[in-house]
Amino acid sequence: MVSDLIAAARPRSKHAHLAGQVALMAETAALYRLDDAQAAQLADGLMTGDAGTSDALGRLGLTARDIAPPPADLTRPVRALALNVAQTCNLACVYCYASGGTFGGPDTRMPWDVAQKAIDALIDDTPPGGSIKIAFMGGEPTAARALIRDSVLHARRRAASRAISVGFSITTNATLLTEQDAAFMAEHGFAVTVSLDGAAAANDRLRPTRGGSGSFDRAARGLQYLTAHQDRLSLSARVTATPDNLDLGSTMDALGALGFTSVGVSPMITSPTGKGTLDGEDYATLLAAMIGCGTAWMQATLDRKPHPFANLATALVELHRGQPRSHSCGAARDYLAVDASGDYAACHRFAKNPAGYMGSLGDGIDHAAREDWLADRAVERQVPCQTCWARRLCGGGCHHEVLNAGRPACDYVRGWLHFAMTAYARLMDERPDWFDGVA
Amino acid sequence: MAKPPEPLNRAAILGPPYPQPVLGNPVSSLMESGVGNCYPGLEFDIRQLDVRFFPGLTFEFLGLEPAGPDGTQGVRLVNAEAESDPLFDDPAPWLKALKRQLNGPEGGALGDGDWYLHAVAQHGSRIELYDFNVFQNAVQMTPYEGETCWWIIRGIEADVDLTVELTQRAPSGQPLGNPVVLHGRRRHFLDDTGMIPDVYRAGELTASMCSPWTHDFRDCACQYWASNHPDVVLGEVVGPQAEDGNAAEDAAQPVTFLDWMRRRGPAQDIAAASTQERARPERYDPYEINLRWQELDFVLHGTETDGTPEMPPLTALHAAYPSLQDVITALTDDLAPLEFTLSMVYLYAFFSLRAPEDISEDERRDWPDLADDLRAARQLVLSVALSEMTHMRWVNQVLWTLDRAGLYPKGKYKPIVQPHSDASKTAAAESSDLEDRVLGLRPATPDAIADFIAVERPANRLDREYAGLVDHLRANADGYPAGLYELAVRIDSDGLQHYQKFRDVKLILSRYEHDTSIYLRDVKLADADDPAVADALGLLADIVDNTIKGYQAERADDMPRADACIQAARSAMRSFQVEAEALASGARKPGESVGVPFFAAWQGLGDGQ
Repeated sequence: MVSDLIAAARPRSKHAHLAGQVALMAETAALYRLDDAQAAQLADGLMTGDAGTSDALGRLGLTARDIAPPPADLTRPVRALALNVAQTCNLACVYCYASGGTFGGPDTRMPWDVAQKAIDALIDDTPPGGSIKIAFMGGEPTAARALIRDSVLHARRRAASRAISVGFSITTNATLLTEQDAAFMAEHGFAVTVSLDGAAAANDRLRPTRGGSGSFDRAARGLQYLTAHQDRLSLSARVTATPDNLDLGSTMDALGALGFTSVGVSPMITSPTGKGTLDGEDYATLLAAMIGCGTAWMQATLDRKPHPFANLATALVELHRGQPRSHSCGAARDYLAVDASGDYAACHRFAKNPAGYMGSLGDGIDHAAREDWLADRAVERQVPCQTCWARRLCGGGCHHEVLNAGRPACDYVRGWLHFAMTAYARLMDERPDWFDGVA
Repeated sequence: MAKPPEPLNRAAILGPPYPQPVLGNPVSSLMESGVGNCYPGLEFDIRQLDVRFFPGLTFEFLGLEPAGPDGTQGVRLVNAEAESDPLFDDPAPWLKALKRQLNGPEGGALGDGDWYLHAVAQHGSRIELYDFNVFQNAVQMTPYEGETCWWIIRGIEADVDLTVELTQRAPSGQPLGNPVVLHGRRRHFLDDTGMIPDVYRAGELTASMCSPWTHDFRDCACQYWASNHPDVVLGEVVGPQAEDGNAAEDAAQPVTFLDWMRRRGPAQDIAAASTQERARPERYDPYEINLRWQELDFVLHGTETDGTPEMPPLTALHAAYPSLQDVITALTDDLAPLEFTLSMVYLYAFFSLRAPEDISEDERRDWPDLADDLRAARQLVLSVALSEMTHMRWVNQVLWTLDRAGLYPKGKYKPIVQPHSDASKTAAAESSDLEDRVLGLRPATPDAIADFIAVERPANRLDREYAGLVDHLRANADGYPAGLYELAVRIDSDGLQHYQKFRDVKLILSRYEHDTSIYLRDVKLADADDPAVADALGLLADIVDNTIKGYQAERADDMPRADACIQAARSAMRSFQVEAEALASGARKPGESVGVPFFAAWQGLGDGQ
């Protein structure tokens, strides 16, 4: 069945795609509901390629637009910063993009003056009344709790004097988290993402400590402190999907039982050692698992019950907004990362990587490098993407993954988006109020 | 098909997102923001007006200390009293009430200790100049720094009731004690006649201004001074030079950028640092610039130089006219008609460019910048055409000034508003002579633009003739009426702009060079008797006629009549522009682009063939 979906989702025309009775205009990300006759017309057109699709769309009253060259400058003002406060970690997850937290170098902590300079530069560049986001990353950021504390207090004070609001976030394995940490994060309204790959067994397989033992129990303890403050924190779990933990249904149940109301799944496409990466058949299995979770989420949502699976909700919101994009994320566009030595990188995954170097605190942000990088990596310029109907929804894929491993997951992404489109039509039909309040 | 596809998401309902429209002019372009849009504060510092935004009170706006917010930032009260503020002479009730407050307990409280502006309220909205946070279950109020407060105060409206609250502060910056509340209105910063009120002391509005020879030459924050001197230069080549002028022994010398404001000294020149912070220690301190400014080198072509460049002797460029008669002949037979001719030739080229409104949707998609490029190119060409008309007027002004002074051959004076005797009704496209080609009507092809550039090049024929005129007038200053020399200099020095503008046009249109039909109309020069151009030619005759009459009136010092004639000419010009544009765009003869034969009315001109 999944293979049918994958086949249905393959690109037939760069202009449009049909998922059941939902038509997507590829260039503008506009979605239309078609009746049976209209859908049949479009399906016929799609069979014959671009020209036939264009004609069919024309007869439906829709105009296919050609890919427009992107504007010369795709940068936006930087309003979000990731501080890599600890290039060190107490775990040794098999797939870690930071190779055990250190990015291939010695264990390092960020010095205070680097953090302060980076924060001051971010705040001073933002006009009064604006808002910024500071994320604490690693390695395992809670290894540098004093630095996080100082950074938060400093940032709030300085931003306050310019009427700028600051949001904080952190991605952590929760194994070193203390009760004071959780209280501090709650006080400052953190968005906390805890990395967990499933229930105890799956998690311990994939996320061992440096000594080799399991980490689940310690993570669960740290998690307890966080769930105690759920009213003031925004708490979510992040599951890395490897070939070893594709039973996502039971993962959802397990993490839901731990108290998470939001669980996001992220496929492991590239890891420095190759361990844990998905391959060939794995993508089909993953897609089936994701659809299983999506279907469960949909049923729960229609019954007005909660379900923690976050991916489908995110996809539906984005489909509803219909904002065509040139990149998958804000890396280098409005978001930069800073590492312990004070270098800027396109995002937290590019720490210490010349391929994503974007300047330094001493020399300032290299805006020309940002412009060039974004121009090169715009989806309009990527070769397989130019003819793919999903380009404006996908954005071309995670830069780090694409640069390291190419694009092995396109069928998966298209299959998922195809499913999301049919889910969208259904939810718009049966519970349109769910979309109220989507900006 | 029963009904069209049902749009589901925002992209389908609203259509593709358009770039955000700009609503209204930006604040920096408004009159009250000062004339230097790029360098606000060059005339006066508008922020100093807000120092006295509330009658009777004087504030100072304090920013952040380098170490960070320490509670001293914000809007601090410097003075509070009604006596020295002439606004209180006005009998308005609110001023009387405010004066009572300032002379009463509120004023008394404000006279003791440090007070800060706490909040402003207007139209029922109250804004506190503090950021409000909850830290460890306590309310923490962090004062906004001066600039942020100023943004808020800038938004206060005049003629509407205003309430201000002031408080004292604890050392942490937290407000302390009961506020002093004053009611009033914002001061008007200009009175009915546009005068700034007397309450501002002499020098107050420029108190925070640039002072070039002290700190701002190095530290000007709006970059005005930075834009007037180079940041980095190539150093002078030291030591033996190779044939191409670069250092024979050190290949790096001519390509290493040096900081122009570096402290000169016996040590080797170091390469320029990449940020201001790094460069600062090596630069002259502000007081040093006062003392050692002569050490800052002249810079020619980006390279520092000590010596005077060698220039060819200027006298070789032109020959001064030996006599006044030669001057007059040159002006009447050559220069004035030439200006007129070029003006018409450029106008013809202007109308041959497509209008931004003419481009189709497909073209707009394929060439997103085409509309703006056309707008720019047309504007540039039109401005040169108008400039030539201005020159023609100035030349005529020289002539009638000479006539009024009795220096013109008796009875011979007449205004010159006609084409040159060498002008042709069509372009002499095959001629190898630049001047033949350029005196005929042509569309704005790349070749035509290249010719325009060549003919407007500095030290061209026109330049040389004007330079001769200037020389003659300078050499015989006593014999001529006052102002004539200055007028001649003015005409002479105006020419460089044309050259640069045509070069800009070439640059703008160069990206479409592979297919000129993208920006050019397929304009065909009409015959003089073609009924389609009859209206246009009639208007052109009106323009010329009224201009001649206007010049004659000015010669006779009959300014009202001159004004009437020039206005009539201008009105005819506006109508002509509409008509010629309609002809060229194909509105008059659908499918055909018609070019007005500007020179048709004058007999005796060649056909150029």
